[in-house]
Amino acid sequence: MSFLNVEKTLSKVKKEFYQTSDITSRLFKKDGATLGFIYLKSITDGQLFAEAIFKPISSTKYSLTLKHLQEDILEANDITEVDESEFVDKIISGSVIIVIDGEEKALAVDLLKYPTRTPSEPPTSPVIMGPREGFVEDIKTNMSLMRRRIASNKLVMKQMKIGEFSNTKVVITYIHGITDEKIVKKVQERLKEIKIDGIIDSYYLVGFLQENENSVFRQVGMAEKPDIVASKLLEGKVAIIVDNSPIVLTVPFILFEDLQNSNDYYTNHHYSSFIRAIRMIGIIMAIVSSGMYLALQLYHYNVLPLNFLITIADTTQGLPFTPFLEILFIFLLFQILYEVSLRLPSYLGLATSVVGALILGDTGVKAGLISPPGVIIVAVSKIALYLVPQQSSQVTLLQAIFVVLGGSLGMLGIVAGMIYFTNYLNKIDSYGSPYLAPYSPRIDNDLQDGIFKENIADMRLRPESFKNKNKVRLK
Amino acid sequence: MKDTTINARQTGMLCTIMILANKIFLLPALLYEGAKSDGFFIMIMLFAIELCVLGVFFLLKSKYPNNTLNFILEKHIGKFLSKIIYIVLMVFFLFKTLLAYSVVYAYLKAQVYQEEFALLALICIIPVVNHAVISGLRVFSRTIELYFYAICTGIFICLVVGLINSQGMPFFFRATPSEFFLTSFKHIFSFGDFIFLFLIIDKIKIEKKEYKTVFKFIVLGIAIVLILFYIFYSIYQITAFMHNSALTDILSVSLQFNAVGRLDVIAMVTIMFLSFFELTIFAFGFSEGFCNVFHKLNRTYSVVVFDVIFMCVYFILVGRYENMLLYNESWLPYLSLFANYLIPILLFVIAILKRRRN
Repeated sequence: MSFLNVEKTLSKVKKEFYQTSDITSRLFKKDGATLGFIYLKSITDGQLFAEAIFKPISSTKYSLTLKHLQEDILEANDITEVDESEFVDKIISGSVIIVIDGEEKALAVDLLKYPTRTPSEPPTSPVIMGPREGFVEDIKTNMSLMRRRIASNKLVMKQMKIGEFSNTKVVITYIHGITDEKIVKKVQERLKEIKIDGIIDSYYLVGFLQENENSVFRQVGMAEKPDIVASKLLEGKVAIIVDNSPIVLTVPFILFEDLQNSNDYYTNHHYSSFIRAIRMIGIIMAIVSSGMYLALQLYHYNVLPLNFLITIADTTQGLPFTPFLEILFIFLLFQILYEVSLRLPSYLGLATSVVGALILGDTGVKAGLISPPGVIIVAVSKIALYLVPQQSSQVTLLQAIFVVLGGSLGMLGIVAGMIYFTNYLNKIDSYGSPYLAPYSPRIDNDLQDGIFKENIADMRLRPESFKNKNKVRLK
Repeated sequence: MKDTTINARQTGMLCTIMILANKIFLLPALLYEGAKSDGFFIMIMLFAIELCVLGVFFLLKSKYPNNTLNFILEKHIGKFLSKIIYIVLMVFFLFKTLLAYSVVYAYLKAQVYQEEFALLALICIIPVVNHAVISGLRVFSRTIELYFYAICTGIFICLVVGLINSQGMPFFFRATPSEFFLTSFKHIFSFGDFIFLFLIIDKIKIEKKEYKTVFKFIVLGIAIVLILFYIFYSIYQITAFMHNSALTDILSVSLQFNAVGRLDVIAMVTIMFLSFFELTIFAFGFSEGFCNVFHKLNRTYSVVVFDVIFMCVYFILVGRYENMLLYNESWLPYLSLFANYLIPILLFVIAILKRRRN
């Protein structure tokens, strides 16, 4: 056991931080005792340091020993005794290390302060009625938002750090007694296995948590609102909160979750069912409408109503491109405009949309380069995409594939694509939950929260699509 | 180990798809050619036999709930004979696939694409079928489960429109007994689908009380086929033999439904879905046989072998759809006799023996 020498210890720690400019150390002498403080000023609350540490120490009548400092002098909440080996970890976590000459151990006082924003309504999950709070980048705030929603001692939060350099805090959250422990263990094991330099956002973990790592389809739920995560925890899922990310991940995940919306639970269930049906039709339209239009136009025009056929024939006459190239061209144009509008500042984005939609579209039609039905069909499919914004990237890929299939093979290609992708999705199991449940395989109990949603008072059991320990949710 | 079993509901749906798939396009016209409208009674007779085969399956399943067909056969007739049976079943399912493919290709060529597109069709169909077979029974059964009601709705719409167009009762009892039985024999290869259930006997997770569920789906399938036959023969009382796709042709007398357009797109899409599922089931039947004959080779090998044999036989031996129909009526019924009837009889004896021993 060695006794600490303040000056030597401070210089050693500084060396360990490679003399970074934001590492700060101070020496303080009083009544023959020598104290040293060392911290990273970029992440430490300077005002709190003065009020909770420096002021009490300079005005105290007690002798400056480790015991007195801890019990009588310091006015901070989170004070822990630490060994020399823990100094670096504590400092990068926002603690001030207080070293006392001749003591074996030092004190770490948590004074972490990051710039954080207050919880606000997330842009991707707005509600008409219902809670508007969204997660923020600060993990502590997010944890407190969860605690507020589920005020129970059974809400378990297990913290770990991932990332060799980022040391990102990751918290695994679940409800003891509801969640299947096997799923928790599996998540923990997968996260522990990650040996990465840094976790910048929660999405970095998605690839590690998915059962089929290279799948086009996401197998991890993502939520920006604590009410959504709380409801998922009550279904028996595990949530993963990641520091510096306003997106909380949940597993197991099934595709149908993205068709559900928090609005559905805060309005009349009949209306919710209607909206879900519309959403379902919309997403199918988004995927296949462009391809199907091509198939009908190129191969099966005889099944179109006569008036519609005449309209199409009139408008497509004299076009320089084949229908297939025309749709591909419009599809690409929309996608480019979308990407541009995302990346430009909002005022320019609006201008681009106007230029794209009105001027390019209208002029393209008037110039005889593209046909109005083609523009309408692609536009409808692109708009319908955002009925389920969480799936927009996957659906965009599918749209492109179905355009190629419809254009080259007609309806046979469309049907082949549908069957292929359904088989593909049916192969996916997310932590034991079939990806297309509750429809494939059909799980009768879970149909109560399917396309047709029942009244909350009738939902007596938790979903069977996910393994959980407690089936009954309403007694 | 990954669970590869299917439940009673999925089994029932598989059976319905097998019943529907190869009996609602071409078969009504073929039966009419041989036995006039009495083809309807041929269907009833052959379905009755099919139900007996189903009964044998239930009996065997109750006696050997978790055993594979390979285990059951090897235990009673030895390794060599069980391999012979598997090889026969492989050939049976290969030709079933060839027949199904020929029929659907002929339909698509004549009524949808109006031109040769053999290679394109193969490029489109084979990868999807291969992927489904490799994915396994559980996966494609789930896919069938998802589309099942859409398919049934499609057929239901066709039946309703057909019923509106029907012109009274078909002219029954015009075939002689020899015509009746000869036609029945000629077309037994279109039946015998339930032999597939024996191949997957260990993969069906079913309680005794759930037999009813399977039976309900089978009754649904049989009812749909019989109603379709009745409507088809009632619409085309004299010219039924000329109409090669019953499901589409019962709609074609009502070409336009106001602004909705021609409804045969519904029949077309339904036929496409059914054909893909039918081909998948038959190809899986071949693959299952292959995996049991060559224990060391996995399913991917079976699919590769299937593709090679399928293409060779299709392009060298079959070539045209008419040739396939010729085989269907000449030597395939004998293969069918063995696979559809002798194997179930053998398995029935095995089940009875087991019951006696118990």
